[in-house]
Amino acid sequence: MSVATTQKSVATTQKWSRFGWAALTYLVVFLLIFPVIWMVITGFKSEVAAISIPPTLFFVPTLDQFAQAINGGFSAYLFNSVVASLVSTTLALILGIPAAYAMVFQMRKKSADNMLFFVLSTRFLPFAAILIPLFVIITRLNLLDNLFTLIIVYTAMNLPLIIWMSRSYFLDLPKEVLEGAWLDGCTTLQTMLLIVVPMAAPGLAAAALLSIIFAWNDFFFAVTLTYTETPTLPIMVAVFTSNEGLFLAKVSALATMIILVPVLIGIYAQKHLVHGLTGGALK
Amino acid sequence: MSQVAQAPQKFTLPGMHRRTTPAPTIEGRAGRTWWHLPALVFMITLTQIPFLLAVWFSLHSWNLLVPSEGFPFVGLANYITAFVSDPNFWPVMWNTVQLVVGSMILALIAGTILALLLNRPIWGRGVLRALATVPFLATPSVMALIWKNLFLSPSSGMVDWLFHLVGLPNVAWFSTFPLQSIMFIVAWEWTPFVMLVILAGLQSIPDEVMEAAKVDGANAFMTFWRITFPLLRKAYEISLLFGTIFIFQTFAEIYITTSGGPGVSTNTLPYYTYRTAFTSFQIGQASALGVIGVILAIFAARGMLRLMTERTVSERN
Repeated sequence: MSVATTQKSVATTQKWSRFGWAALTYLVVFLLIFPVIWMVITGFKSEVAAISIPPTLFFVPTLDQFAQAINGGFSAYLFNSVVASLVSTTLALILGIPAAYAMVFQMRKKSADNMLFFVLSTRFLPFAAILIPLFVIITRLNLLDNLFTLIIVYTAMNLPLIIWMSRSYFLDLPKEVLEGAWLDGCTTLQTMLLIVVPMAAPGLAAAALLSIIFAWNDFFFAVTLTYTETPTLPIMVAVFTSNEGLFLAKVSALATMIILVPVLIGIYAQKHLVHGLTGGALK
Repeated sequence: MSQVAQAPQKFTLPGMHRRTTPAPTIEGRAGRTWWHLPALVFMITLTQIPFLLAVWFSLHSWNLLVPSEGFPFVGLANYITAFVSDPNFWPVMWNTVQLVVGSMILALIAGTILALLLNRPIWGRGVLRALATVPFLATPSVMALIWKNLFLSPSSGMVDWLFHLVGLPNVAWFSTFPLQSIMFIVAWEWTPFVMLVILAGLQSIPDEVMEAAKVDGANAFMTFWRITFPLLRKAYEISLLFGTIFIFQTFAEIYITTSGGPGVSTNTLPYYTYRTAFTSFQIGQASALGVIGVILAIFAARGMLRLMTERTVSERN
C-alpha cells in the first residue's frame, strides 16, 4: 500500500517537474524572441498606438504601415538586395564547387590542406582592414555606388563559406559511387556535374542559403561602398529613420519585411547552420 | 602511376586491374588540377592584395583632406602615433576587449541555459529550437534599430516602461551605458549561435555516459559540471573562437545605435578604423589601425585553424 502511494507520488512529482521544465523552456524562448514578436506586432499598429505608453496590446490591426513602407521606394532597395545576394551566391558556387572538388578529389593532401588553411584565413580577415584599399581601388576604377561592386565583394565574402561547406559534404560522399563513375569512363567534369553535385545537393543548397543570408544581412559593405546609388534593404531602414524622423510602426513594418527572408531561410536550413558556420569543425 | 600502385590494398573493385591509365581517384590524388585556381585568384585579388596595399598605405602619410601633402613615406610613424600619441587608441582597444569579452560571456551563459533546456524532450521542441535561432538570423542593423527605438528608448521604450512600473528611474541607455547597451544587443544576437553549437555538442554525448552517471547517483548539477561540461569542451572552444572573431567585427550595431559615441566610448578597433578612414580621411593612419586589427584577428584565428586541421587529419585517416 505505502509502496504504491510512494510510487504514485514519485510519478506525480516527475510529471509536474517535466511540466515545470517545459513551461520554463517556453518562457525563456518567448523572452528571447520577444523583441522580434513585439516588432512584428508594432508593424500592424497605427503610429499613435505604436508610440503610446503603456504599450497597447489590443488594437485594430492595420496594414497601412506596410503599405507606406512599400510605397517608400521599397522595391528599388529590394531589387538591389535580391540581385546582390543571388548573383553573388551564384558566382561563389561557380567558383567554389570546382575548388572544393579539386581539394577533395584531385589535389595532394598537403596542397589541399594549405588551400583549406588559406580559405579559412580569408574569412577571418577583419573587413575593416581590407575595406580601405578596396575603397581606393574601387574609386579609381570608378565603380563606387555600383551593384556590380557589391556583388563582387559579397562573392569574395561568401566564397570561403561555399568552399569549406562543399568540401565537407564532398568528403562525406561514398567513394564507391565515384569510383564507379570513373570506371564507366566519365570525364572529371561529368563526374563533378552529374555525380558529385547531385549527390551533395542538399548540402550545397544549405551552403547557398547561408551565403544568401550573409549577403542579405550585410551592412558594412553596403553602407561604405554603395550607400547612395544602389542601397540595399538594411540601408533603407537607416535612411528611413534619419530622413523622416521616427515612425515606430512604419519602421517596424519595414523591419519585419526585411528580416523575413533571412529568418525563413535560416530556419529552413537550420540543420546545416552550425556545420556551415563552423566550417565542419562540429557536425 | 606510383600513386595508383599504392592504392589497391584499400580499394579493390572489379575491373580495376584492367585500367591502363591512372584515374584521378581519391586514393590516387594525382595532384594535377587547376580547378581551384579561379577561386584562389579571386580570393587573392579581393583579400590578400588589398591587405598588402593596406600594409603599404600604413607606412605612408595620406590625408585626403590635405592633398597637397601627397603620399610621403613615414615608416612606422602611423603605428607609433596609434600606440603612443593618439589619446583615443588605448580607450578604443579597451572598448573592443570589453565588448568582445562581455558579449561573449553573456552569450555563452544564455546559450548554455537555452541549449540545456532545449535538449530535454518536450512537446514542440523542434519549433522552439527554430524560433530560438531568430535573433541570430535577423538582420543585425535592423534589429539594432528596433532595440534602440522600441526597447531602449527613454521615451517610447518598453524597458523603460517596465522600469517605471517597478518604480525605477528612467535610463537613457545609449548615453548612460552606451557600451553595455551594445554589448547586450550583440550578446542577444550571438546567444542562438552558442545554443546551436552546444546543442550539437550535447547530441554527440553518448546516452550510456549519462545513464552511468544517473546509476551512480549523480544529481543534475553534478552531472552537468562533472560530465556534460568537460565533454562539451570542443563545443565551447568553437563557440568562443567563432564568437570572438565575429563579435570583434561588430559594426552595424554600433553605427545604428551610437555611431561610436558619446566621444569614442563605443568605438571598437574596426569601427575606429572605419571612422579614421571615412570621417577623418586619414587613409595612412586608418590602414595602420586596420593592420593592427588583422594581427589581433590572426592570433584569435590561429586557435581556430588548429581546431579545423585537427578534424582534417582525423577524417582523412
